[in-house]
Amino acid sequence: MLKKSAANLAGLGLALFFLFPTYWMITSALKPKGTTITSDYDLVPFSVTFSNFVTAWTKPGFLSALGNSLLVTLTAVVAAIIIGITAAVAMSRFAFRGRKSFVLLMLVAQMAPFEALLIPMFLMMRDLQLYEHLSSLILVYFAVTLPFCAWTLRGFVNGIPVELEEAAMVDGCGRWGAFQKVTLPLLGPGLVATSVFAFITAWNEFLFAKVLIRSQDRETLPVWLSGFQTAFGTDWGGAMAASVLFTVPALVFFLIVQRKMVAGVTAGAVKG
Amino acid sequence: MTAVKTTEAAAPAGDLPPALPPAVTGGAPGRRRAGAFDRALPYLLLAPALIAILWLIGWPVVSVFVTSFRQLNLGELVRGEIVWTGLDNYVTVLRDERFWTVSLRTVVFTVAVVGASVGMGLLIALLMRVLTPWVRIALQIAMLCAWAMPILASTTVYQWMFDQNYGILNKTLVQLGFDSFAGYSWFSSGTSTLSVVGLLIVWQAIPFLAFSLYAGLVGIPRDLYEAAGIDGATGWQTFRAVTWPEIRSLLMMVTFLSTLWDFKVFAQIWVFREGGPSGESTTLPVLQYLEGIAKSHFGVAAAISVLMMVILGLITFQYLRKLLQTEEGKI
Repeated sequence: MLKKSAANLAGLGLALFFLFPTYWMITSALKPKGTTITSDYDLVPFSVTFSNFVTAWTKPGFLSALGNSLLVTLTAVVAAIIIGITAAVAMSRFAFRGRKSFVLLMLVAQMAPFEALLIPMFLMMRDLQLYEHLSSLILVYFAVTLPFCAWTLRGFVNGIPVELEEAAMVDGCGRWGAFQKVTLPLLGPGLVATSVFAFITAWNEFLFAKVLIRSQDRETLPVWLSGFQTAFGTDWGGAMAASVLFTVPALVFFLIVQRKMVAGVTAGAVKG
Repeated sequence: MTAVKTTEAAAPAGDLPPALPPAVTGGAPGRRRAGAFDRALPYLLLAPALIAILWLIGWPVVSVFVTSFRQLNLGELVRGEIVWTGLDNYVTVLRDERFWTVSLRTVVFTVAVVGASVGMGLLIALLMRVLTPWVRIALQIAMLCAWAMPILASTTVYQWMFDQNYGILNKTLVQLGFDSFAGYSWFSSGTSTLSVVGLLIVWQAIPFLAFSLYAGLVGIPRDLYEAAGIDGATGWQTFRAVTWPEIRSLLMMVTFLSTLWDFKVFAQIWVFREGGPSGESTTLPVLQYLEGIAKSHFGVAAAISVLMMVILGLITFQYLRKLLQTEEGKI
């Protein structure tokens, strides 16, 4: 009994440890101007305002950075998911020569340390005249997420019994019909989990966004926020409000699929 | 996502007619006719992904090696000159004492961060099993908040919490009676800066690890524990004999993934002090950025990139080999 309450106490302590930065981000964002930077001990806010959010929202660059981030991330993820599904279906539903090498290629490509490819990527985008264009970021994020999407979706397709598709084909569906009416709906949860993980990867990316885009009106949110001191000075309340706005989309997506995500990423654990 | 929704709605409608004999007879010859198409189909489905991977990953990998043998600074880049210098870039990098310091620092940092996050992740996963449900849910929600925060948002929040004059950490320490922390700077040395960065990374890495390992622990059959209990095993013996063999492979998998992720951390280190003070918190990815992008020494930076991949390969070689063998067997 005593052991159990000690464990619970530890659990609550850890919960505080994990929650505190989120709490501090939100409360700092809600404090009225002038009460954020103070030597008083102010763990609990006494008055609440939303003016910091208005400040962050109307700061030059915020809205365009938000739009750029959404555009780049969503385009890359949609492309990676569509091409990832076709590759996943080919890998898991067809027998053909070279299949094994292709599956291994996917696995290896997934682990490629992209950061180490910064220089060739930079040179390539320059040669393609895409430097300073958002399309260069779309290509990079697409390349980063594609092997992961194909690999993870392959696992999810493998989990759907092929007999279901065969039954549909016996019942008169073509191959496409069987895929569209049987496999795709069953793939739904896996598809959502995979795309959220890909979304988070691209949403977070900083290095390439910093290197490939220099002009301010094409910045993505991570880069914009990293230079917040130029925008906010020491206005930590405004910076925290911007951080909250940056967090909300990611948090919403996370809450949708938290359970499935763990299963997806570790699906390839080596046994033994 | 909308596509999934519509097919979901369409699926029951398609199920309604139980059997459609004409379609069956119509389907069979159709399949026979399409023999050649069927044989080409998997390749057609793979083609977009294959082309994309060869173009956007395969070519850069080749290119980073090629570039590392060229002298490529801003001048050569603008003039479009190709100057081969053999191993000069490697000699330059390997002769530079800073490279060795930075490499060692990166390896130590990676090992420390991976060790701390995997260890804590395992402990929390084990703890979660014995928690009262509402405490466990509270802990899970708290971890989810940490996990979901975008890296740049959490980095900004940590900067604020560790702020020299108005940061909540220093204020709390002063409240607790440690007056020397009034106006204390956490970023005055490389070790201190990297410790704060490490804490931030560990804090954000633990949730994924704890959730994965907890999922693995929950999957262990209960009767194994009952059997151990009947045999009178102590807690530690039960862990060694029952829990450990069951989660060992999962633990190795997440350790491997964490190593891949933590070795190449750039954003957090850069945003805190840009590798400073005076280069003391510079790691390999930061060095690569400084040489390549900031100084436009692309050839030298490419050599650093290659050496980075070599070091990462050396750290993960054993596991990588095993992983590829196992996967090859499974396919």
